[in-house]
Amino acid sequence: MKESLATRLALLAPAQGMVLAVLLVPALYLVWLSFQTSSFGLAPRFVGWENYARILADGYFWRALGNTALIVLVVVHVELLLGLGMALLFASGLPMQRLLLACVLAPYAVSEVAAVVMWRYLFDPEVGHVTYALQALGLPTLDWAVSPAHGLTMVALLSVWLHLPFTFIILYAARLAVPMELYEAARIDGASPWQVFRRVTLPLLVPALLIAALFRLIFAFRLFSEVWLLTSGGPARSTEVVAVYLYLEAFRYNSFGAAAATGWLMVLGSLLLAAPYLWRLGKAQKADA
Amino acid sequence: MAMSRRLLLGSAALLAAPRTLRAQSRKLDILSHRVHQAVLTQGAAGDLTEAWRRARNAEIGWTTFDIGPLQDRLLREASLPQTDYGVGYLLNSRATAQTANLLEPLEDHLRSEPIEALDDIAPGLRAAMVVGGRTIGIPVRHATNGLFCNMALLEERGITAPPTSFEEFLDQCRRVAGRRSDGPPLAGLVMTAALAAYPVIFARAFGGDFITEDYRLLPDHEAMVKAISAIRGLFESGGLPRSYANITNEDQATWLMQGRAAFAILPFARHAQLNRPDQSRFAGRIQAVEFPVSSTAPAGTRMATTVEFWSMSIPRNARDKGLAWSFIQAMSSKSVTLGAARNGNGPVRVSTYADPGFAAENAVAAIEAAALSRARIPFPAFPEANRAEAIFVEEVQSAVLGRKTPAQAVEDTASRVRSLLPA
Repeated sequence: MKESLATRLALLAPAQGMVLAVLLVPALYLVWLSFQTSSFGLAPRFVGWENYARILADGYFWRALGNTALIVLVVVHVELLLGLGMALLFASGLPMQRLLLACVLAPYAVSEVAAVVMWRYLFDPEVGHVTYALQALGLPTLDWAVSPAHGLTMVALLSVWLHLPFTFIILYAARLAVPMELYEAARIDGASPWQVFRRVTLPLLVPALLIAALFRLIFAFRLFSEVWLLTSGGPARSTEVVAVYLYLEAFRYNSFGAAAATGWLMVLGSLLLAAPYLWRLGKAQKADA
Repeated sequence: MAMSRRLLLGSAALLAAPRTLRAQSRKLDILSHRVHQAVLTQGAAGDLTEAWRRARNAEIGWTTFDIGPLQDRLLREASLPQTDYGVGYLLNSRATAQTANLLEPLEDHLRSEPIEALDDIAPGLRAAMVVGGRTIGIPVRHATNGLFCNMALLEERGITAPPTSFEEFLDQCRRVAGRRSDGPPLAGLVMTAALAAYPVIFARAFGGDFITEDYRLLPDHEAMVKAISAIRGLFESGGLPRSYANITNEDQATWLMQGRAAFAILPFARHAQLNRPDQSRFAGRIQAVEFPVSSTAPAGTRMATTVEFWSMSIPRNARDKGLAWSFIQAMSSKSVTLGAARNGNGPVRVSTYADPGFAAENAVAAIEAAALSRARIPFPAFPEANRAEAIFVEEVQSAVLGRKTPAQAVEDTASRVRSLLPA
């Protein structure tokens, strides 16, 4: 039986309606809000591009954007490298593989808030266990409460620890999907392990690498809880990221128009950051077609 | 026994009866901090809302948040066409003209159902709740800061009495800092870097201030430079912990009770909690005194510590304003104020401190009353007050961590905050 177009549209309507209600309408509202000055107890007033101009002229926004870009690029690429290495290691066979797999995936099951609180205590500059251990080994400690570089390093380490399982599982699944015949053929042809990796594994993992990178770039750009709960963007706003900047505008200074404009600038920033990967992904799909 | 239709219907009716009866009672939803609920419902004086609930046949629904989210939620609810929340706790620093647009003016309620002995509530606190000629809140709780000293730790270093001058305080902080004989490192003073109130206390010890009640910014630059230099000196000498910039407000009490710091600046009302054996490792050994003044302060300077206070307000769009006002009226009475004080609240009524029973029960009542009589809010309320505070806090942190000189931090604060002040 063939349904009419009206029936098909009616069947699709609930899902499309929900997407409109929860994504498009709030997004359009935010566009409108970003051109207003708005706070509690004040009627919104149209100000044109003023909110955008003020944010783009604010040195703290650029510092937050720089911190975000730095952390995102470091975190995503370190995760890709580690995830790839671990996927290859697991694919080559390890003793107690299931137990190790559970250990590797465990951080993904920990809530972000709990993880940050745990790390905060472990790395406490005065009484943290890791601090004590590093001191006992004669190694330098992370002075994350004072030094912005150490603070950002701490945020990056925590972020990698929390999200590595996501990258790993995508790459591990992709590696397991590579046909064994290709490796047998490479061995028969006398390829070295490096050549096998370079000519067989890597080209076949590129789509999975791009997907993992793309997802992580977009997720990582929204980085908030790690920074907010660890340093609150301090000391002296030096570890602030864009999501924290937005939070402060919206929920501490109640400047909703500026916060909405910051949100749109974040969307633009994450799109620009992800653009090379999107372009490469599109190219790969065209080549496959 | 066989289940007949009659039995089933009868049982259902019986089960539903209490629900039906409950439905006839009214419900008052309140937005507050957890501590506001605790001081009205738990402690030595018991549940102080019970009499009101019985008299009004009403239930109370408490929704509690931390300070920032609480103020955000209150104003968000008040911005809706209508809200179920009848009472919301408002912090003094949020009592601006914009906020006043969202809250019920209380003059009519005060006339028709007056609050018992309103004049007994500290005049300065009441005045701060009059915005644009309209009363928008009734003060119910103050937090006046004092200097808390862990005498056990001070005695370990041969110090037998709390400091009587600011210089002596700094000296004692430096002397106690270091590693204790049983291992853990000890800070002289634990102090959050996230709030302006603390550097303001230091500045007032030199006769200075951040923003005065008549909106004068940094009236004495030199005093503020000295204050920030003192904090920086403490940080550099180990008197403040290395994690100074990340210490939270709650950390301060925890550090003091665990013996990780010898001094903390906290509201006097915390005295009982800090000395409770089930919470503190130094129960009975934590004393509170007024924050001392510097010997270099202008002659006659007396310490004006910082005080923050909470008021009960009614959102202008509240569904049942009559019920909300009757609750505020009952909870502001002399007897409930005294009871809440016994439960750990900072009482806003002068008469509470004069009560002999309260004074006998509360070891710091007399010191707190004296401090409160001179205390001032850290800075007045105005629309950009939060942004101004954030700038000041940032500049102080920068100076304390050595990224700029205290003098530069004061100059930068002045130039950045000036444009945010009300015209």
